[in-house]
Amino acid sequence: MTAAVSFPPQPRNPVRPDEAKEPGTGSSERDYVIAAQKGSDSAFAALVRMHHRRAYAVARAIVLSHEDAEDAVQEGFLHAYRALERFRSDQPFGAWLNRIVANAALDLVRRRKVRDADELPETVALPFRDPGEADELRRRLAEALTHLSDRQRSVIVLHDVEGYTHGEIGQMLGIPEGTARSDLHHARAALRRLLKNVRSDS
Amino acid sequence: MSDHLKLHPTDGGDERRDDEIVRGLRRLYAAPTGDDYWRGLEARILSRLTTPTIAWWDELDRWMRPALAAAAVVLLAAGVAVVRAHQVQHDVAYESILAPTPHPVETAVRPVLQEPREATFRYLMTSR
Repeated sequence: MTAAVSFPPQPRNPVRPDEAKEPGTGSSERDYVIAAQKGSDSAFAALVRMHHRRAYAVARAIVLSHEDAEDAVQEGFLHAYRALERFRSDQPFGAWLNRIVANAALDLVRRRKVRDADELPETVALPFRDPGEADELRRRLAEALTHLSDRQRSVIVLHDVEGYTHGEIGQMLGIPEGTARSDLHHARAALRRLLKNVRSDS
Repeated sequence: MSDHLKLHPTDGGDERRDDEIVRGLRRLYAAPTGDDYWRGLEARILSRLTTPTIAWWDELDRWMRPALAAAAVVLLAAGVAVVRAHQVQHDVAYESILAPTPHPVETAVRPVLQEPREATFRYLMTSR
C-alpha cells in the first residue's frame, strides 16, 4: 500500500491536535468544526490534516499492522464525516474522533479474528516490522506482544507509546478507567515475564 | 539502533525493565515520518470522503434503525391483533356455553305403521 516509509521513534507527547491551530491560518479547530458542520469540505479537510497523525497512532495501537491502521483511520474519518452533524462543537473534536477511530480499529480486529479463525494457527500476525531491522530483541518483543490480549496490547501502547492517560484510554476503548489501569499492570507484568530470558547481548 | 531495545534482566528492577520495554514498544509502533506519507494518507482519506464506496454493510447500517423501528411497529400491531382475536374467540366460546339455545331442536318421530289394516292398504297400493 505504501512504499519506502521509514519508522523512526516519535516524541512521547506530541502536541495534541485539540489545542492546535492550522498552520498559516488564524482559525481554530472549533471554527473548522462549525464550518464543516455547515457543509464546508475544505474545513473538514483541515480537520483531517490536523488529526490524521494522532488518529493513525490510536488505530495503530489497536490493530496488528500498519496497513490495518491506515484502513481504520480512513474508516474512522468516513464515519466522523457522516456523523458530523450530531457532534456538539463545544466538545473536543479530537477525543470524539479518536473514539470513532478506536471503534473502527476494534471492528477491524474483530473482523480479522473471524476471518483468521479458519486459517492455520501458525499464521499469527505480528506488529509491523521494518524488513531491515531483524534483531532478536525486537523479534522477541513483537512475539511477546502477541501473547497479550488485544485490549492489553492496545492499552499498553496507547499509554506507554502515545502517552494517553488511563481515563482517555478508557473512553477510547469503551472500558472503565480502572480496567485500563489493571490491563496496563497485567500487560507490563506479562511482558516482563515473557522477556525475562532476553539478555542484552543476545 | 538496536541499543534502544536492549534488556538487562540481571542488573535492574522492574522499573528499568519497563523503561526498556517502553523504548522497544516505541520503536515497534513508531508512526511513519515524512510529509509525503502523511500527505498521501490525507489525500486517500479525502478521496474516500468525496467518492465514498457504499458497501452493502454500510447501506445495511444506514437502514438498520428505520428497519428495526418498522419491525417493532409491525410486531406490536401483530401482537395486538393476535391478542384481540384470541380474546374475541374466547368470549364467543364462553357465551356459547352459557347462553340458551335460541331454537331448540325438535325431533320428528316417524310413525311406525304396524297396524294390520294399514299393512293391507299398503299392499293394495303397491301391488298395482
